[in-house]
Amino acid sequence: MKVLLNCTINGEEQSVLADTRDTLLDLLRDRLGLTGTKEGCGNGNCGTCTVLMDGAPINACLVLAAEVPGRSITTIEGVSADGALHPLQQALVEHGGTQCGFCTPGIVLAAKALLDENPRPSETQIRHAIAGNLCRCTGYGKIVEAIAAVAGSAAQEESR
Amino acid sequence: MSDGAELAPALKVIGQRLPRVDARERVTGEARYPADLAFPGMAHARLLRSPHAHARILRIDTSRAAALRGVLAVVSAVDFPELPVGAMIPMGELGYDMWMVAQINMARRKVHWVGQPVAGVAAVDAHVAEAALALIEVDYEPLPAVLDIASATAADAAVLHEHIFTKGIEPRPRTPSNVCSRIVIERGDAQGALAAAPATARLSVQVDTAHQGYLEPQAVVAQVDSNGFATVWASTQGQFTAELMIAAMLGLPASKLKVVPMEIGGGFGGKIAIHGEAVAVRLSQKCRRPVKLVFSREEVLQGGSGPPAAVLIDIAVGAGKDGKLTSITGNYRLDAGGLPGLSPSLVMQASAALYQCPNLNLQGYDVVTNKPRTEAYRAPVGIQAAFAMEQAMDMLCQQLGMDPLEFRLRNASVTGSTMPIGTPFPSIGLTTILERVREHPCWRDPLPEGRLLRGRGLALGYWRGTSMTSAGHITIAGDGRPMVTMGAVDLSGTRTTMAQVVAEEFGLDVEDIHIHTGDSKSVGYSDGAAGSRVARTMTAALVEASRDALTQLRKRAAEKLQCAADQLDYASGMFRARTGGAAISLAQLMQATLTDGAIIGRGVSTKLPLGVEIGAHVCDVEVDDRTGLVTVLRYTAFQDVGLALNPAAVEGQMEGSVVQGLGWALTEGFDYGPDGRLRNASLLDYRMPTALDVPKIDCVIVETPVPNVPYGVRGVGEVPIVPPAAAVANAIARATGVRVTRMPMTPERVLTALKRVRASEYST
Repeated sequence: MKVLLNCTINGEEQSVLADTRDTLLDLLRDRLGLTGTKEGCGNGNCGTCTVLMDGAPINACLVLAAEVPGRSITTIEGVSADGALHPLQQALVEHGGTQCGFCTPGIVLAAKALLDENPRPSETQIRHAIAGNLCRCTGYGKIVEAIAAVAGSAAQEESR
Repeated sequence: MSDGAELAPALKVIGQRLPRVDARERVTGEARYPADLAFPGMAHARLLRSPHAHARILRIDTSRAAALRGVLAVVSAVDFPELPVGAMIPMGELGYDMWMVAQINMARRKVHWVGQPVAGVAAVDAHVAEAALALIEVDYEPLPAVLDIASATAADAAVLHEHIFTKGIEPRPRTPSNVCSRIVIERGDAQGALAAAPATARLSVQVDTAHQGYLEPQAVVAQVDSNGFATVWASTQGQFTAELMIAAMLGLPASKLKVVPMEIGGGFGGKIAIHGEAVAVRLSQKCRRPVKLVFSREEVLQGGSGPPAAVLIDIAVGAGKDGKLTSITGNYRLDAGGLPGLSPSLVMQASAALYQCPNLNLQGYDVVTNKPRTEAYRAPVGIQAAFAMEQAMDMLCQQLGMDPLEFRLRNASVTGSTMPIGTPFPSIGLTTILERVREHPCWRDPLPEGRLLRGRGLALGYWRGTSMTSAGHITIAGDGRPMVTMGAVDLSGTRTTMAQVVAEEFGLDVEDIHIHTGDSKSVGYSDGAAGSRVARTMTAALVEASRDALTQLRKRAAEKLQCAADQLDYASGMFRARTGGAAISLAQLMQATLTDGAIIGRGVSTKLPLGVEIGAHVCDVEVDDRTGLVTVLRYTAFQDVGLALNPAAVEGQMEGSVVQGLGWALTEGFDYGPDGRLRNASLLDYRMPTALDVPKIDCVIVETPVPNVPYGVRGVGEVPIVPPAAAVANAIARATGVRVTRMPMTPERVLTALKRVRASEYST
């Protein structure tokens, strides 16, 4: 069954026809063509589909599309909307914090949620914030280093 | 060909710690993987998989599924030509048996593991395709299943394949067997030397199956046009290997097929073979629409893709009182899963290669069981073998009362010493690595005291890697900039390191180089990204292509500047006459001669000398003897890379590889039920390391260039996964006095080992 959903994605009002069985991830990828959000497991264990819902990081595969009206969703496409990289993205580039790239959008959003809430996290807080995002290529060191570089302060010295 | 050692001081771009040239599209989510593609009218496919570990397929009836509204096409084995055993396609030194590849993609007559595909459906959407699977009727006759090496090799074991007779036994056996092959590597009298040795150590280990754990599940989009030409957008480690496999499975001429490699969300050996690509093409042929097939995570883990081999390994080693090794014996039994696996030979050699020892006896067995057919995983079977051998060596050190580093230095293989296969070692830097370990704080610093038991472990790793074929070509754009097309997919930062190589050759900046991976019809044949071969061999190919292009450009420049070609100097994008000072830039030259025809520099590398990989790892752990929990406190990896094209990329390979190794060492293991069904087929229950589970990995890069290889580059990406489990096990043993012989070394197993040893201590 199809339903018409009104929602706010990356600051824009959208009206989308969705299947009642669609998850938020299906809505983003298949209905809106926002394929920057990836599906690694489909059951909330890997974090590749992390997006922000009202500023908080969530797994888009665990939210039904029908739950989205009235909420504000931020995806990776909304992080660098004006073409300039977000400092977190720039740091991941410079520190070698992305390899195959499949986990990267989710990592960016998980880290953004952390820094929006706590601009000067410790290394442990950084590791906690991305503990729900699996990465199989980097071993995490260069990702943590990149986030710490943006956060500045203690975390950066701690991770050296 | 140049010796890297001589060139090193003059290098400008190679050796720089540069960010990936394709990092921007990764951090913005613009990088495109096959699952991101959508075409008008695209159908969605799903595969029906076997619920049985071993069964005969009596009947498949797809008529009810085909009749469901929205179903566009249904296929099973009858829709594919039957390929005989031994239908080989080229892949490296051994080739690939298409009979096996076909079985991985679509079972015929029998199923050999839970999750093996038996039918495929394409429908208007994934929901309909899923519903249609339930309407396919398959009658099975379940057969007794053998689920481990012991039961597969029992006298009365059910035989998986009637045509398999153990290879490597004389006379040739008369009855089929689950033991596919036996391999022996022998030198001197290992048993005699072992019996006579004053110090010996014996160890038997068991390693559970794990998974490569790439985060992107297998995905493909296939489209067949009205002329019958098929385009396949794939997540693959090799577009040419995939093309050969798809063509063979479909009986399609190679000229009717193109494989376009998209970004690949991790492969680690698991995306060399095809998994559903040919099925998607057949469905597209049938329904005349583009077809997308994306695996679920459960499918990836539950038989839809090949995990690495489980093993049983027994090692015995002996040494004189002086600490010189006198004997190494090893028995390696590899659980290949439902089809014959990789040859045990490579890993047998690898596990003994780093030690000079006059007496050697290694025996390897490849055994089939009713589990998913195994595939390569980063230095295939290297970590399992090191888990056995490096622990045995550590036990020998304890017997001798000798420092494990001194013991290694005393027995280390050096350039020219005999490899297990009998040939002399090419240039290697093992002793250099060991000396670097000795002076490094990770080895010199005393172990900091803690509340819990702590220990430090050392382990070595060796991987031979391979060379095979790489090709690329370079055209020159109208603005004079090199446009590189290479036959390698980018698994490890290849676009970046290869842009550095071409920039170096042209005397330009890396920003001046445009580089991309060609599809299987727009670049020369190249073998896949496997065996630590791509950076080395593609460097050779692109050095050749660069010099070919520059030779063509020089001829044009000579005409323009009206002087002899050999009277021109070239540097930094500019040809300059040696006398008179006339000069022309590549941009001016191309603008002036654009209509004279294309400049195309070509390069191929086929038989490059091997660039063997060697590493040494040092690890500090803490063991909670009440819970069995092992925490890695500090980890340092030393590796000889020949010459680091890009140190940041090298570290990326080393750090990621070590963490994969730590995952398998401590938490990652497949848990099969008695019915052959994987009980932990999710990323919650199959536990890969998170950012909280591992420390920062410190990397120490050593550079011993390989002679007669451009820039002296060695393989990098595989060997750093070899030592971690052994390094952790040795550290646990030093912390607790207990050897853990089952991997992964989960808290439960560590605790059991601790209790067993303590109980025996109390009882004596």
